[in-house]
Amino acid sequence: MQTGRRQFIAGLLATGIIPKPTWAGAGSPSFLSAAVLPDGTYVLCGIDADLNITFQRPLPARGHAAAAHPLKPEAVAFARRPGTFAVVIDCTAGVQTAVLNAPAGRHFYGHGAFSADGSLLYTTENDYEVGRGRIGVWDVASGYIRIDEWDSGGIGPHDIKRLPNSDVLAVANGGIDTHPESGRTKLNIPTMKPNLSYVQDGTVIEAVELPPEMHKNSIRHLAVSPEGDVAFGMQWQGNGVPPSLVGLHRLGGEMTMMQATPVQMRDMQGYVGSIAYAIDGATIIVTSPRGGGVQQYNVASTQIMASRSVIDVCGAASTVDGFILTAGTGELASFTPAGERFSKFEALKWDNHLIPI
Amino acid sequence: MRRIVLAATIAWAPLTAAANPSIPDIIDGHILPRFEALADTSEALSQAAAQNCDPTSADLRNAYGAAFDAWISASHLRFGPTEVDDRAFALAFWPDSRGATPRALAALIADKDPIGLDPKAYGEVSIAARGFYALEFLLYDDGLMFAGDPAYHCDLVQTVTADIANTSSAIYDDWKTHINMLLSTGPDATYRSDEEVLQEMLRALTAGLQFTQDSRLGRPLGTFERPRPTRAEARRSGRSSSHVMLSLMSLQDLASHLSVSDAALTETLNRQFADALGKLDNLNDPVFAGVADPQTRLRVEVISQSVGTIRNTVQTELGPTLGVAAGFNSLDGD
Repeated sequence: MQTGRRQFIAGLLATGIIPKPTWAGAGSPSFLSAAVLPDGTYVLCGIDADLNITFQRPLPARGHAAAAHPLKPEAVAFARRPGTFAVVIDCTAGVQTAVLNAPAGRHFYGHGAFSADGSLLYTTENDYEVGRGRIGVWDVASGYIRIDEWDSGGIGPHDIKRLPNSDVLAVANGGIDTHPESGRTKLNIPTMKPNLSYVQDGTVIEAVELPPEMHKNSIRHLAVSPEGDVAFGMQWQGNGVPPSLVGLHRLGGEMTMMQATPVQMRDMQGYVGSIAYAIDGATIIVTSPRGGGVQQYNVASTQIMASRSVIDVCGAASTVDGFILTAGTGELASFTPAGERFSKFEALKWDNHLIPI
Repeated sequence: MRRIVLAATIAWAPLTAAANPSIPDIIDGHILPRFEALADTSEALSQAAAQNCDPTSADLRNAYGAAFDAWISASHLRFGPTEVDDRAFALAFWPDSRGATPRALAALIADKDPIGLDPKAYGEVSIAARGFYALEFLLYDDGLMFAGDPAYHCDLVQTVTADIANTSSAIYDDWKTHINMLLSTGPDATYRSDEEVLQEMLRALTAGLQFTQDSRLGRPLGTFERPRPTRAEARRSGRSSSHVMLSLMSLQDLASHLSVSDAALTETLNRQFADALGKLDNLNDPVFAGVADPQTRLRVEVISQSVGTIRNTVQTELGPTLGVAAGFNSLDGD
C-alpha cells in the first residue's frame, strides 16, 4: 500500500544521521486540495483522514490539482488552465520553496505527477502555437529546473498518473485544441480525437483511442488501481446523451466502457469531474459538479451500484475503507461502511480535485 | 472482501425552479424565427450565387451578408438539430487557429477537385472548406477571391452556397419537429422536466456570451504585448464588430425570455446589454483594427469587460432562478 511504502522509505531515510522531514511533520495530511477563500484569494490545503485541515498555504491564482512528492512533505500545486505557474510548497514549514514557470509558448493544464523515486516531476502542457500536447520534465533536486520536454501523444493532455511500481505515465490526451488567446474556446470539436497514451522515458509506448462514434468524448481524468488498471473519466462534447462517461484500460489490453442507463447518464450532464478507485480496486467513483452527483461503478459488472446527489461535488479520493468527496459548497464528505460523515467549511470552496498523498 | 458502498441509491434531487419562463414563447419568439430566417436567407444566397458568381457582385455580397447575419443571430442555439452531423461547424468553422480553411480551399482550387462541383457531395470535404467563413475567403480574400481557373472558382462559390442552403434548411426542417421534444417533457423523454429545457436555454445563453467575449473580442485583443488584429472574426468582409452586435442583440432577446418572471433582473440585464452595445457602437471600428493602439485597445477591453459583467449576472442571478446553482466547480469545466 502506498502510505506504508512511503513511511517505510521515509523510515529508511530517517536512519541517517540527519533526520529527514516527513509528511508527519506537516500534520500528516492524507489529502491535498486547492480552494478559494471568501475574499477571492486562493489556497492549497492539507486535509487529514478525520476531515480536519492540517495546513493552508496561499496560491498566487486559481489552482486546479496538485501532486504530492512520494517521500518528502512537499507538494506542487498547479494553476488552472491556461495558467503558467506551479508552486512548490514545503508542507511542514508552510513556505513556498520554488516556482515553476511554463516556458514561452506553453501553458499548464493543471495536473502533474512525480517519478517513482521522487527525482522528477512531469507536467501536462499545451504547445499552443502548434496545438500539440507536451510533458514537461523537471528536476526536483536542483530546485525544479526544467530539463526536458516530451510529446504527450496527442492534443490537450490533462490528467497524468504514474502506474504503480514503474515509471510509465498514463496521460489523458483530451483531444481538445485551445489557444490562450481565445480563452477556453474549443477549436477542433468536429475533428477531435482523444486518446489514452502511455509514456515511458519520453517515448509513447502505447496509445489507445475510443471507437469512432465516441470521438467527441474527451478523456480527461485518470485513476490507477493497485494492479495498474487505468480508469478514465470523460467529458462529452457531442449532442445528446453520451454512450458512456467512464472507461477502463490496462496496458496492452482493450478499452472497456462502463455501462449506465440513459437516466443515469443524464444525471451526470455529460461531464465527469473526478474519478477514483476504491482502495481494493473493486469499485470506481465518478463525480459530476454539473449533474451535482456521484456514481459508483462495480468494476467486475461494469454497472452502477450506487449513486447520490451532492451539490457542486468534484474532488474524489479513496480512503482505507471508503471515499472522501469535496464540493464547491465547502462540504467534505466521507463515506465508509460505518456510515457517512459531512464536514462543512463555510469559509472555503473546494476547487476541483482532491489529491491523495 | 469488505464492500465499500456509498449508500443506498438515493434519487437525484433536482433543484426546483421558482421562475417559469414560457417555453412555447421562447420557441415561437426566439428559436424558430431565427432558423427560418437562416434557411430563407441561405436559399437566397444560393440563388444569388447561381445568378452571378463574381466575387465582387454586389447582389452576391449583399445576400452573403444577410445570410451570415442570420447565422450569427442563431449561432448560440447550438443544441438539438443545430448540432446533428456537425451542422453548426459546417456553417461556421471558426476560430480557425491553424489556417485550415484557406489551406483546404487553395487545395480544392489548385486541383480543380471535382467534389467542388457537386453540392450533394460537398458535405464530404474538410469541414474547414464549408460554410460562411470559407465563403468569405472566396469572396473577399485578396488571394483566394481570384485564385485558379475562373470557371472552377465560380462553380466552387455556387457549390459552397448551395451546401450552406442545404445545411440551413436541414436545421430548420428538423427544428420544426424537434420543438415537440422541448414541449413534451417527461420521465422517459429527452428532457425530464421544463426546468431541464430552460437549463438547456441557459447553457445556450452562457455559451453564446462566452464565445462573444473569448473569441469575437478576445482573439483580436490577444495580449497587450501582442495584439492580434488579423485574428478578428470575418475581418475581410468587415463584419467583426457587427457580429458582436448581432450576437449581443440575440442573446439579450433570449435573456429577456429567461428572466421574464423577475422584473428587476430583466432591468439589470437590459441595462448591461445596452451598456455593452452602446460602447461597441461608440467604438466605430468595424474590424477591431484599433486593438494594436493603446488608446483604442482600452476601449475594446472595456467592451469585453461589459460582456463579462453580463456573464456574471447570468451565472449568479439568472441561473439560480432557473434551478441552476452557480456552483464553483460546475461552472469551471475542466
